Amino acid sequence: MPDIHLEGLTRSFGPTTAVDNVSMIFAEGTVTCLLGPSGCGKTTLMRMIAGLEAPTSGRIRFGDRDVTRLSARQRGVAMVFQYPVMYRTLTVAENIELPLARDRGLSPAERRGRVDEVLDVLDLLAQRGLRMGDLDMGARQRVAVGRAIARRCDVVLFDEPTTNVEVHAKLQLIRAFKEFRRRLRQTIVYVTHDQTEAMTLADQIALMQAGVLSQCAAPRVLYDEPDSEFGGWFLGSPGMNFLDPVGRVGVQARFAGISAEIAVPGGDVAGLRAGIRPEYVRVFPHAAPGRVTARVVGDCITIGGQHLLTLDVDGAELKAKIPPGAGMAAGSTAFVECPAEHVMLFRDGRRLSEQSVGLSRFP
Amino acid sequence: MPGELAAPGLHARRPAGGGIARFLGRRTVLPGLLLIPVLAFFIVWNTIPTLWLLGLSFYRFSLTSGRAPIYAGLLNFQNILNDSGVWLDLSRTLLFVISGVGIQTVLGMLLGLLFWNSQRLPGRRVALTMLFAPMVLTPVASGTFWRLIYDPTFGVLNSILRGIGLPGTNFLGDSSTAFAAVLVVDIWMWTPFMVLMTLAALASVPKAELEAAEIDQLTWWQRLRLVLLFHGKYILMLGILLRTIDSFKTMDLIYNMTFGGPGTTTQLVAITLYRRAFEAFNMGWSSALAVILLLISIAFTATFIFVLHWRDKAEA
Repeated sequence: MPDIHLEGLTRSFGPTTAVDNVSMIFAEGTVTCLLGPSGCGKTTLMRMIAGLEAPTSGRIRFGDRDVTRLSARQRGVAMVFQYPVMYRTLTVAENIELPLARDRGLSPAERRGRVDEVLDVLDLLAQRGLRMGDLDMGARQRVAVGRAIARRCDVVLFDEPTTNVEVHAKLQLIRAFKEFRRRLRQTIVYVTHDQTEAMTLADQIALMQAGVLSQCAAPRVLYDEPDSEFGGWFLGSPGMNFLDPVGRVGVQARFAGISAEIAVPGGDVAGLRAGIRPEYVRVFPHAAPGRVTARVVGDCITIGGQHLLTLDVDGAELKAKIPPGAGMAAGSTAFVECPAEHVMLFRDGRRLSEQSVGLSRFP
Repeated sequence: MPGELAAPGLHARRPAGGGIARFLGRRTVLPGLLLIPVLAFFIVWNTIPTLWLLGLSFYRFSLTSGRAPIYAGLLNFQNILNDSGVWLDLSRTLLFVISGVGIQTVLGMLLGLLFWNSQRLPGRRVALTMLFAPMVLTPVASGTFWRLIYDPTFGVLNSILRGIGLPGTNFLGDSSTAFAAVLVVDIWMWTPFMVLMTLAALASVPKAELEAAEIDQLTWWQRLRLVLLFHGKYILMLGILLRTIDSFKTMDLIYNMTFGGPGTTTQLVAITLYRRAFEAFNMGWSSALAVILLLISIAFTATFIFVLHWRDKAEA
């Protein structure tokens, strides 16, 4: 199975550049999620890998093989589309078997065995004789996944396959995806705008913004160490809090809500912002050294068993995740602590390296 | 209730002003008035002649006899059904329709696929315009144009044949070639229509399915059968039906090229009807034949409507 290499890949539509000079490697046998908001170019990037879109410039290699000018048919990749594609006159089993017919190396028995295996994992055995009209969207998408997987191509592409299916079918698809991944170890590119899905499925995530590759890293690294304010804001529910500097003492900057002065390279605070994730913001009902006074704004919102509190700290908005039962009434006073070890510094949207940032707690 | 707010549109104001404005402002009046010219045209030029024709088909009536029409019941219909000449003309028409529409469909589909697959081909638009030109010409002009091409003395076709050492042929005057010669012109005229229908059918195929077929490495036959024909079949069927109905009524082209000859080799049923009505002036008999042709056309139209409903139900 080959790595997929993208070298300076660009795709323009008239004056609009959908994908701008993207270079990256999709390592063999791994799952890479292309993540980003709608219109960021992730689908265009994947369509170029599939051969459904020609790049304006740049190169695509599957291992040592340059596939830039090859058609989708010649590249030999499998793909699952956002909208479930099923050949309507064929049954479920016939749909899955259809692309296998071209594989001369497969005996009819092997072909049937492969179809049965796929049907089993996708929980479609009972529906093998049904046609598209008899199936819901979720089942149709499972058939499309089955058709892509059964071929056992080296490269499989998924274009937001769970967008048009309901929750139960989505879970079924993700379970099947994980099972196939465990068995086959194909090189998979998975486009999604759902960060939970990306975090769950990916070995690495390529985060895109406005056609540009913002960061490519393992999910945990991407979450804990975003390269940019965009990465901090986009990942997490809600994303990172960003605080503007409110003062400077020599080369140390002070930020609203952070009870520490942070050393700034060169002492220059222009374009500087501090970021901290809501789960690291600690909220207390009582004052203590190192805590900053805040006012609770609005009521708590419950997200995934945790309460989300919005606070006003010297005019800056700060979101904090607090455990259930620790709710605070709107308008009440709270005391906030932002542990300095979880604070990141950004200048002009890019994160400053750890080495350049020093922290010193207030007296 | 005073002061109550009404949703806009629920209590739309009637036009202010006098009685005429109020009368025209009623929901059904103005659309009804606007329909009157079309309805009047339809009644005068369609309904009345059809009823007249239907009535006349039950009478013996010759314009040359000078006698008033005589009620004959179903005699005209009986005579037509017993007339072997009519059956021969009908079977010739059927052959003309089946072979003409069949070849037009196959050629139209092939050319449609060719043009559809060559979006970036230079000169595509010019080629398409040239291809559609025969369809927009009137059949009379096409007939005259082709009669000149086929002309045994100074026609282009015979010049070419003689130029390459082959004997010239009187295409329209020879009973062995006349039918085929006329059929070729009909195919030339109406293949563009089937190209158009094929392009419309192909435009209705979802892009994702075409791309999936490409990714799944389907053969061209699988792609045609499972994707293109599946989605395009309704539009293609409508095209075939429209052409069948139209081809069944072919009159002007034959009239201009051979007038049914030599002998009766190109005499389609519409020419038979014309000859009996306007040469022999046998109006009762011709009316009965026209009624039969009308019934056949209605059968085609009913099939057409059935296909439309079938499509709507299938897509629901």
